[in-house]
Amino acid sequence: MSTPTQTDAPAEATAAMASLVASLADNKAALGRRYAEWAISAPTLESAVAAAAMAQDELGHARSTYPVLKQLGVETAEEDIGGGHRLALLDDELPDWTAFIAANLLVDGVLTTFVAACAGSSLTQLAQRARKILQEEGTHRVHAEAWARRLCRAGGRERDGLVARLRETWEEAGRWTGPDDDPGFRAAMASGMVTQSPAQQRELMRSWLVALLGAEGVEIALPEPPDWSRWDAGLRRWSP
Amino acid sequence: MSTADRRSVAGRTESVWEVFARKAYDEPLHHVGTVTEDDEDLALVSARSIYDEQPWIHMIIVPRSSIREAIRP
Repeated sequence: MSTPTQTDAPAEATAAMASLVASLADNKAALGRRYAEWAISAPTLESAVAAAAMAQDELGHARSTYPVLKQLGVETAEEDIGGGHRLALLDDELPDWTAFIAANLLVDGVLTTFVAACAGSSLTQLAQRARKILQEEGTHRVHAEAWARRLCRAGGRERDGLVARLRETWEEAGRWTGPDDDPGFRAAMASGMVTQSPAQQRELMRSWLVALLGAEGVEIALPEPPDWSRWDAGLRRWSP
Repeated sequence: MSTADRRSVAGRTESVWEVFARKAYDEPLHHVGTVTEDDEDLALVSARSIYDEQPWIHMIIVPRSSIREAIRP
């Protein structure tokens, strides 16, 4: 449902941000559910508690993000909450612990990088929520980094499994912000709604993860997506 | 380190960390429990996740193996 926007930004910018914010909330809702499933089957009791805590954070972030859509002229009905604007890899349970950690690193990471790019947003409600989200996401990042180091140091199948899962996950998560030349995203940047372009956000992710794994002697490349033929801009979703 | 300070989980030996926290700056740190992890960062995450029942303003973890007894029971 459409309602009057509460910003002076051009329609192109508002539409792009509405798409990003709706998908941010849907992905956080889905990620929270996927984390929660591992709260009963993580490798250790401590990891299970961490998974449950991160699930609670993500579900809370999702719930508090949906109302931001109203400022963008989109009325969210209860039945729209937890909708389908999410990555395909979050449709079903994460198949193993390395997939969990890959999502913890890259899905959580991509969403948080976008939220960080909105910390000073002209969308005041989004900027306000960004501060709390970023504070809680700090713990998620520590968890993801520590497990990445642990799996790399384990070597063999665990290390190779992580790298394979990271490559698969990047195929989808790396595309989430969309093509760098998207005119709607450019308009949103010009309106002060978001400060970093899709390519800039991908570069932040790339430099962080390449350094993290490189310190453990593991090489990985997170390339710029060369192909957008299976990208659904409406759902912000790449079909693997 | 004694065997009681470490446990084996899925073939990996993990360390026990004692967790201390306080709710106000004028309070001393209280012992609130333990976490078992071989990674210091994961031990910090676990401590925050497990012992979140109070609005702590300060929480620390100490490896049990670093504790020295001045008086033994």
